[in-house]
Amino acid sequence: MNLDELKKLKEKAQRQVALREGQKKYRVVISMGTSGIAAGAREIMKTMLDEIEKRGLDDVEVRVTGEHGLEDVEPVIRIEESGGEETTYARLDAEKARKIVSEHLEKGRKVDNLVVGKQKNP
Amino acid sequence: MFDELSLNILDIGMNSIAAGATVVQVTIIEDKKADWLIIRIRDNGRGMDDKTLRRVLTKNFSTKVTRKKPIGLGLALLRQTSEMCGGTFHIRSRPGDGTSVTASMRFSHVDRPPLGDLNTTILALSSASSPVDIQLDYHSNDGAFQFSSQEGKRHEPRRTQKTQRESAATSRAA
Repeated sequence: MNLDELKKLKEKAQRQVALREGQKKYRVVISMGTSGIAAGAREIMKTMLDEIEKRGLDDVEVRVTGEHGLEDVEPVIRIEESGGEETTYARLDAEKARKIVSEHLEKGRKVDNLVVGKQKNP
Repeated sequence: MFDELSLNILDIGMNSIAAGATVVQVTIIEDKKADWLIIRIRDNGRGMDDKTLRRVLTKNFSTKVTRKKPIGLGLALLRQTSEMCGGTFHIRSRPGDGTSVTASMRFSHVDRPPLGDLNTTILALSSASSPVDIQLDYHSNDGAFQFSSQEGKRHEPRRTQKTQRESAATSRAA
C-alpha cells in the first residue's frame, strides 16, 4: 500500500461528506453485499463518483446498502428521486454506469434498456 | 473469489454495518521485515452466538449460493485466503458485544492478493445510509496513517475542547 495514495483518502472523504449536505434531487443507492462486490459493485461506485465529480453534479448523493434481493443481476443500483420515483438498473459495467450519470443524473433521461424490475408497457 | 484484500474488507465491513455497528475499526499492518500482513476488522455491532459463529465458518464453498442471505460467506473466504497464505484467522464475537475478525498472512506469499483499492473500500463503507464511523489505522515499515469518516463532518458531537471554544468565540464575534 502506498502511503501517499492513502493520504488522498481524507480529501476524497471530505468531498463526499460535503456532497451529502441538504436534500438532494437524486440519491444513488448501490447494492454492496457479497454478490454485488463479487460482481464489481465497488468499481461501479468509483466510476460513478468520478463521473459525477467530472460533470460537476452537486444534486446527487451516493450511498451503499446490503443486498437488494437481485443477486442474479448484479451489479445493481437504485436511483431514488426527491419526488419519490425509483428506478433500478442492473447488470452494470463501467460504461453503462457512466451513461446513467450523463443521461439520468445530468439530463434527467432514464436509460430505458438498462432498467429492470418494471414493465415498460404497463 | 476476491482478487483484492480490500474487497474482503469491504464485504466484512458491510456485515458489521448490517449488524448495527456504529463504529467499524479497520486495522492493517504491513510488516515487510517480519513478512506479515495483518488485517483486523472490529465492530460494535450486535455480535453472534456460538451456533451462528460455527455456521459462518463451516460454510461449504461448493454449495450453490441460494437466494437466502449468504450470511458469513465473506468470513469463510477471508479465512481461506489467510490459511492459504501461511497465516491464521481468528474471530471473536459475543451477542451484544460486537465482532472482531483478525486475518494474518505471509506478506511475500505468492498467492497473497494485493490490498488493492483501499481508498474506495473505505469511501464505500463511509457511504452507508446508517450513521457509522469508519476508522482506518494503517501501519507499515514506511509509516502510519489514520482516518475516521467522522472527522470531516460538521456539527460533530464529539468535538475537542479547543474546537468548542473556537466555535463559541466565532459565534460571539458574529
